[in-house]
Parts: sequence; structure tokens; C-alpha cells
Amino acid sequence: MPRYILKRLALSLVTLWLLVTIVFVMVTLLPSDIARNILGNTAPEASVIAFREEFGLTDPWLVRYGRLMKSLVTFDFGTSWSTKRPVGGMIWGPLYRSSKLAGLALLITTPISIGAGLIAARFRDTKLDRGIVLVGLATASIPDFVTGALLAVIFGVKLKWFQSVATIPEGTSALGQLDYLFLPALAMAIVYFGYIARMMRSGTIRSLESDYTRTATMKGLTGSQVLRRHALRNSLAPTLTVISVQIGFLFGGIVGVEVVYNYPGLSQVILNAVKDLDLPVLQIAVTIIGGIYMLTTLLADIVIAWLNPRARLELGQ
Amino acid sequence: MTAVEQGSVLDQATIERKQARRENWRLLRRKPGFIVGGVVVGFWVGCAILYTRITPKDPFTYTNPEGKVGPNGTNWFGTDKIGRDIFSRVLAGARDVLLVAPPAALLGVAVGSLFGMTMGYFRGKVDLVISRLIEAVLSLPLILVGLLVLTLSDTSELLKAMTFGSRRILVIYVVALLFTPIVARTVRAAVIAERDLDYVTSARLRGESSTFIMTREIFPNITAPIIVELTVRIGYAIFTVATLSFLGVGLPRPSPDWGLAISDGRDLLQAGDWWLVTFPALAIATLVIGVNLIADSIQSVYDR
Repeated sequence: MPRYILKRLALSLVTLWLLVTIVFVMVTLLPSDIARNILGNTAPEASVIAFREEFGLTDPWLVRYGRLMKSLVTFDFGTSWSTKRPVGGMIWGPLYRSSKLAGLALLITTPISIGAGLIAARFRDTKLDRGIVLVGLATASIPDFVTGALLAVIFGVKLKWFQSVATIPEGTSALGQLDYLFLPALAMAIVYFGYIARMMRSGTIRSLESDYTRTATMKGLTGSQVLRRHALRNSLAPTLTVISVQIGFLFGGIVGVEVVYNYPGLSQVILNAVKDLDLPVLQIAVTIIGGIYMLTTLLADIVIAWLNPRARLELGQ
Repeated sequence: MTAVEQGSVLDQATIERKQARRENWRLLRRKPGFIVGGVVVGFWVGCAILYTRITPKDPFTYTNPEGKVGPNGTNWFGTDKIGRDIFSRVLAGARDVLLVAPPAALLGVAVGSLFGMTMGYFRGKVDLVISRLIEAVLSLPLILVGLLVLTLSDTSELLKAMTFGSRRILVIYVVALLFTPIVARTVRAAVIAERDLDYVTSARLRGESSTFIMTREIFPNITAPIIVELTVRIGYAIFTVATLSFLGVGLPRPSPDWGLAISDGRDLLQAGDWWLVTFPALAIATLVIGVNLIADSIQSVYDR
């Protein structure tokens, strides 16, 4: 097991390196005048040249790539090209805010989706099951910003239950923040409901059809006992994988929700960095998002192994 | 085996395939999801084809001198910031997304299948390297990659030449590019499941070329997952195109594109002007749900 984890971690590092390199190649080798782009068309030529000098944009690409690799190892990504502030300071605040939103979304969506998936599987092929499947299909296919916009219209503008903009004033209490965060979190939760409920349903159906479930039923356990004691544990594995993948995507994956609600999260930073081709900010954002994605998927695999001895055997090999 | 016998075996295979296709179609037609999805998508396709011929007002000119008004008798869905009829713009908006999303999905599935088949069939070092690359790209959210590529492509002369200066074609390329790795991974897995089966081995022993085995032997057997992938991808393409437009890197103004309309109306939501956002949002929602209902029905028929 430890060997497996180490191997996976090493592979993740390779993938991260590839990721950073891909972004570097895209930004550096495509013909774009970064200095001109950031300073604007009206900036005098002298200041454009000074800008290029300051950030070493005139150096050969190999030198710049070397600098990037160094920053990757020391995790010091230098200063942003567009704001000239240290990149670290620009990223941690938004990352914290995005995590808060994503955490709230997961808190809402996980129990509801797992419950809905279980119910759908338990009452398979009934009207209830069809309804859950249909709702899941619909919610997962509607773009996040559309769900977010519709929720803002209904609960923010029409009913006025919650704030339709998530720019939280300084010094708001935790409970007061909920007023601002609830709608965007709900929008994210709705998007992920479909994925998680669907996985849970099919996982549960698979385990309900297996031999050990039949044995349990023949032993005289009731339907819900079988579900709780035998099927649940096994159907959680694929669901966990899906949840972990979604956690990875919660950061930056749902740019739309953060934009709709004007939430100062990671998405805003990324959008600005992309617009300015601000490579240092882009690189740290990509590293963090990719890193979170890889860590959560690895974590999920470990938990699955812990849940299911058979998977543990497979991992050991 | 004589030539005649071989011919009859092949004929039989063709007949069987035809029968299976007819059976699939019969099952599909009976699915309520397929019917509902078909009606919804059909409606939007109709709007896209008829375009300004069925819109009650011109979607591009300022029909209301007062500027922005809420839904009323003449402007059923109200008018936008500069007095354009939203009902007409929502109907006309179907054209842009339907001109971009399906071709993008088709291109992405075609290129991805090509990659996936080569990787799955030959395996080896190339497969290993490309698989790693795909893994890396897929750990980033699609939208992020799309944003980056679309922003960068503004500066590239080569791309300008490849897209004939059309933003639509550029968006098609980018969305197709985003889908290629995912499709490649799916098709690769399907090919790997087939490549060691007896019919492939016997074709190899017959001395058939790799190209022949891939296109004539394996490909017919993996069309089902490819078709499923294509329908699912069309749904995602609409999703992606709308999001990119919403973020301001997709189709340019004054396109009646729905994502763009939501982006423009969002600022006015605070003031209580709900209609600017609601109707384009409902349009996107119905179209993607329709496409996904169709995709889901096709998948359940093939997975039967």
C-alpha cells in the first residue's frame, strides 16, 4: 500500500510538471505581445520595452523555462506581471474563498445526492426512480451559470430570500455570510447532484444484484437492512470516485457560478490572468487546481481500498 | 474457404447488422425520453433554420424606443438594455449555438477516435506518452483550457488563416480540441477491449494491414460507443459554447447567443430586471436537457 501511494504521488508530480509545461508552451511559443497586451495599446513604446526588461520577457525561452522550473520547486512564483504584486498573496485569499464555497456546496449536495441515489435504486423502475433519474439528468446537463442565474432570479430577485450577489461586506458574521453564499453554493450543489446521484444509483443496483445481497435476503433480512448493512458499503466506492473528481473540478471548474454571483474566488483570478496572459499567476493557479484534483482522486482511491478489501488487493499488485 | 462461401458469410453479417439497427431504432422510438427530447431539439433546430423568418421582430434592431421594458403585449419577453426584442433574440439565438456545437462535437469525436484507435491498437511507448498528456490536460477544467486557448488564438496569424477570420469556426476548433482527449480515452479503452479478440487475431494471421484491421474489423464493432459518445458530446458542446460566450470569449456581439445575453443581463439583475436573464437561461436549459434526453435514450438502447 505505501508503495502504491508513493508511486501514485510520483505520477501526480509528473502530470503536474506536464501541466505547467503545456501552459508555458501555450503562452510562450504562441506569438503574443504580453507586454503590449497588459499595458494597452496607448502605452508608450519605452514603457513596453521597460516592462519586457523587468520581467525578463526578452530572455530566450529556455532561460524562462528554467526560471519556471525553479519556481515550481521552491513554490515561489514571483510577482504577477499585471498587478506587480507577489503571486502568493494574490492567490491564497481567493483560494480560501473558493474552498469555502465549494465546501458548502459539497455539504449540501453529498447527503442529498447519496440519499436520492439509494432511494432510486431501492425503488428501481418505479415512478419515484424515474423522477430522480430525470431530475439528475437535467441538473447535470444544464450549465452551472444557467442554474446560478435562474436561482438568482427566483430566490434573489423575485422572492428576495437570499442575496443575489455574493460580494460579502467586510466583517460579516459567519451566519450572515450564509445569506450571500447560499445561492451560489446551491447552484453548484444542483450541478453535482446529477453526477453523484446517478453513480450512487447504479452502484447500489449493481450491489443489490450481487450474490452476497441474495444471501443476505435469503437469510431473512429486510430490504432496508440489506441496503444498510451490505449494499451501501460497496456502492459507495464508485460514488466516492465521482465525488473526488468533482471536488477537483469545484475549483475553477465552475467558473460560471462565481462569475454570475460576482464572487471574488479563484475564478476571478484565473479570468484576469488569462485575459492578461499573466503567466506567473496562471501557473500557480494551474498547479493548485491540478494538484487538488490529483490529491482528491488519490485520496478517494485510498478510501476505496480501505472500504473494500478486494480493491486493496488489486492496488497492492 | 471458397470465395462464394466467404461472400455469403459477409452478406449474412450485413443483414444481421441491418436487423440490429432496425431493432435499435424501433426500441428508441418507443422511449418517452427520446420523443420529448426530439420534440424540444426539433423546435430549436426549426428556429435555427428559419431564423429571422419566424421572429416577430428584427432581433438586431432597436424596436422599442424606450429602451428596456419588461414583458408585455408587444414584447412578450420584454426588451433588452437597448430596446431589442428578447423573444426574437431568444428564437434567433438557436442558430449560433447549433451552427457551432454539433460540428465541434463531430470534429472532436472524429479526431479523438482517430487518436484513440491508433493508441489502443498499437499501444507501446507512443500510447504511454499520449495517455500521460491526456491525463494532464484532463486534470484541468475544460473551460479553463478553452478560455486560455481562445484568448491566445486572438494573436495568432496562422489561426486567423485557418479559421478564415470567422469566430464561429475558431470556437468550433477550440471546443473540438477540448473534447479530443476525452474521446480518445474512451475509444482507446473500447479498442483495447477488442484488439485481442479472435477475429482481430485471425485478421492479423491472414496478413491484413494494420489500417485494414483498424478501419474494417475493429471500427464496425466500436461504432456503438462512438455514437453514444457523439450524442453526449453534442450536449457538452452546447454547454461549453454557452459558457465560453458567457465568459466573453465565445461568439462576439451583436450575436443573439444565449450565453452572451445572460452575461449582458446579469448586471441588471440587481435592479430587479429578471427577464433579461431568465429567457435565454431557459432556452439553454431546454436545449441541453433535450439533447441529453436523446443521448440517454440512445445509450440505454445500445447498452441493452
